[in-house]
Amino acid sequence: MKSALLIAWREYRQYIFSRGFLLFLVLFPLGVLFVGATVGYLERAKPARSFVVFDETGRYVDAIDAELERRRKRAILSAWDAYVRLAAEPEALEAALIPEPFAPGPANHARVEAFFAAGLDAAAAALAPYLRENAPAFIEPRRQFERLPLPEEARAAKNLADAAERLRPYLLDEKRPPGAKEPLFAAVLIPAGFSRAPDAPSAEYWSRNLTDPALESVIADALDYALQREAAGDYGLSAAALEEIAGIDAPLESFRPDKADGEAALTLRDRIETSLPAMMTYMLLVVVFGVGNLLLTNTIEERSNKIVEVLLSSVTAGELMMGKLVGIAAVGLTMPAIFVVGGLVMAFVAPGGNEFAAEAAGALFGSHLIWVYLFYFFCAYAIFAMIFLAIGAMSNSLQDAQSFMGPVMLVVFLPLPFMFMVYQNPNGLIASILTWIPIYTPYAAMMRAAAGPPLWEIVGATALMLAFAIALARVMGRIFRNAILQSAPPKARDVWRLAKKEAR
Amino acid sequence: MTETVLSLENVVKRYGGLAAVDGLSFAVARGEIFGFLGPNGAGKTTTLRMILGIIPPTAGRITVLDSISAIPVRHRLGYLPEERGLYRKMRAAETIAYFAHLRGVPARAAKKKAHELLERFGLADFARAKNEALSKGMAQKVQLLATIAHEPELLILDEPFSGLDPINQTTLEALIRDLKAEGRTIIFSTHVMQHAERLCDRFLIIASGRKRFEGDLAAARAAFPPRLLLRTRDPVDPLAAAPGVREIVALGETTDGEREYEIVLERGADPQLVLKAAFEAGIRLSSFERAGASLHDIFVALAGEKEDEQACAMKEAAE
Repeated sequence: MKSALLIAWREYRQYIFSRGFLLFLVLFPLGVLFVGATVGYLERAKPARSFVVFDETGRYVDAIDAELERRRKRAILSAWDAYVRLAAEPEALEAALIPEPFAPGPANHARVEAFFAAGLDAAAAALAPYLRENAPAFIEPRRQFERLPLPEEARAAKNLADAAERLRPYLLDEKRPPGAKEPLFAAVLIPAGFSRAPDAPSAEYWSRNLTDPALESVIADALDYALQREAAGDYGLSAAALEEIAGIDAPLESFRPDKADGEAALTLRDRIETSLPAMMTYMLLVVVFGVGNLLLTNTIEERSNKIVEVLLSSVTAGELMMGKLVGIAAVGLTMPAIFVVGGLVMAFVAPGGNEFAAEAAGALFGSHLIWVYLFYFFCAYAIFAMIFLAIGAMSNSLQDAQSFMGPVMLVVFLPLPFMFMVYQNPNGLIASILTWIPIYTPYAAMMRAAAGPPLWEIVGATALMLAFAIALARVMGRIFRNAILQSAPPKARDVWRLAKKEAR
Repeated sequence: MTETVLSLENVVKRYGGLAAVDGLSFAVARGEIFGFLGPNGAGKTTTLRMILGIIPPTAGRITVLDSISAIPVRHRLGYLPEERGLYRKMRAAETIAYFAHLRGVPARAAKKKAHELLERFGLADFARAKNEALSKGMAQKVQLLATIAHEPELLILDEPFSGLDPINQTTLEALIRDLKAEGRTIIFSTHVMQHAERLCDRFLIIASGRKRFEGDLAAARAAFPPRLLLRTRDPVDPLAAAPGVREIVALGETTDGEREYEIVLERGADPQLVLKAAFEAGIRLSSFERAGASLHDIFVALAGEKEDEQACAMKEAAE
């Protein structure tokens, strides 16, 4: 056992104390910060996307402007809430001292109207007594979209086709609208007969930037709303009444039936707990894949370098296998562990992040689930790691390993498409089937752990998985021992022979 | 009485229908340098792996340091395989210390021993160098030092001289003698006979997995048929009928026009009778000498392609 631990420690040190890994540990958070900061900066610096509207009806330009304004107000309110959470004293937030509608809250119609009726200056004044020391001033987010006046030549267009033709040079950036610094992003063409009638002609959205659908969505919403307002008028409903109807936000709370009365309301922690299985399964896949590659390359190096013969004169093949499995498992767990701990530390340190971090830590470490995850995590790791180890023992190079790796990787990733179904319906048929397939039992059991699956099913499937893992360990161990000292790598057809019996 | 540190009794190793080692028996005494000789594919490495417990024998019994398996006594054994390598990213001292630690030396002592050995073998400056940065000769030295750092009682070296330049070969020979002087038992396999001739107290020759000879050089020579080397300008055909002559082999012509012959005698034949026959046949000899068989000759004769009659006779003589 001591020899196995020594081998494990060497394997661990080889990767964890390598210059590359240490550099990665330092650079990764810096990289994340850099990418985050750059994306944020670029997002803020992005110029407003400009567009023009050719409206033969003359009725819809205002509707589009109104939709733009509505969205802009919501964007400002959302930015304001984020600012308050960061800039205000935590005590003031906790004690709800900031008056409504300036305290962070849902961006419903009533709050938006109240907020902008008071104005940003009033909001700043209301917040001033509760600001942290040296808190920066609120900066209004930039406009995302800007409607420009139609160029002179497009105004004279006889119809939609003519307007499209006249606007084409602007959309292709061969011309710019007067005063525009950026190319024209899009043009909206509304035909004369545009209405909600089934046979009415369609409005047209022209843009080269089809991968950015944000503006298209704004225009669609604006036209929908305008047509709805027309319809409401036809039914005798006033515009004010329609506004009120549109502003209705139905209050809805979520509850869990498996929790005691009084505690059944769905909390942040509940939501974190429900997404934990998916996160753990994803992490398992990443670790199995990453660690599998480490095991493979490492065993191939020892085999092709002939170090393995010296090792086998000092330790048994079983000790060597065990040492490698433990050492590389520790390597595989170090990175996610560092990220989990680092993430929690950063969340605790970040202003306003305490609640989330505390709930996440509570969800992760505060229940029996962490042990369930760890148990299945190690089972899955052991099953696949033994397969990788045996493949490494049969290969002198990565090229040799390719012929074995293809089918194995297919098996590793096969359950991925089904995992979403298990996530959505943890006690459904697919979940049950995957639970009873030993190599997928860990994945399925982890995904179902928080959903209260039938105990007999989990116990039975786990027993089957353990029996399978023991049988697999024996077979893979035999392949490892029989193949590791062969000078020529065995062919795929030899695997059965190697697995069948000890070389005697 | 000499203590036996290793004995093999009728050891067999089969791979499918092929017997890589076939009924091999021999013993090695404490403190001796034992040569394990054989051509490529003779079963040397397979035998050494069985001795070390890396692979199990199909049949037979192996006793190492009074244990029926090498596994319980593996910390008292040292093994340098024929095909050897090092962890490329590991440092030289670290490598030696790691293997010593793996073989039971406490970590601190292993580290100290590694530096001592590197110092002793002129590699102190490379203690912190990564193995991938070492020259081939230096890497081989590190491998050897990693084999002996835990001070094994029984040292098994598989083709230790292969790949070494003449200077390093001499250094290694000296090291093997030093280890013997310290009381260690050394088994080494080789097919370079000069090393075996210079170093071995006793040796074993195997071919096709079977023992062909076990004993010392004197015993091998004594059992080997005597040979005569002679030079003459006259035909030597009359000597074929001389008592004890088994075969006459023409070796070639010398620069002064004479011919050189090797006369293979029957075991126990008297060379004087051949000299007398030459004199009686009027053969004018410019040179007549008795040639002692070298280990190379013995090896070639014993480990040749087929176990011929002579080899069988040698084997009987040896046993």
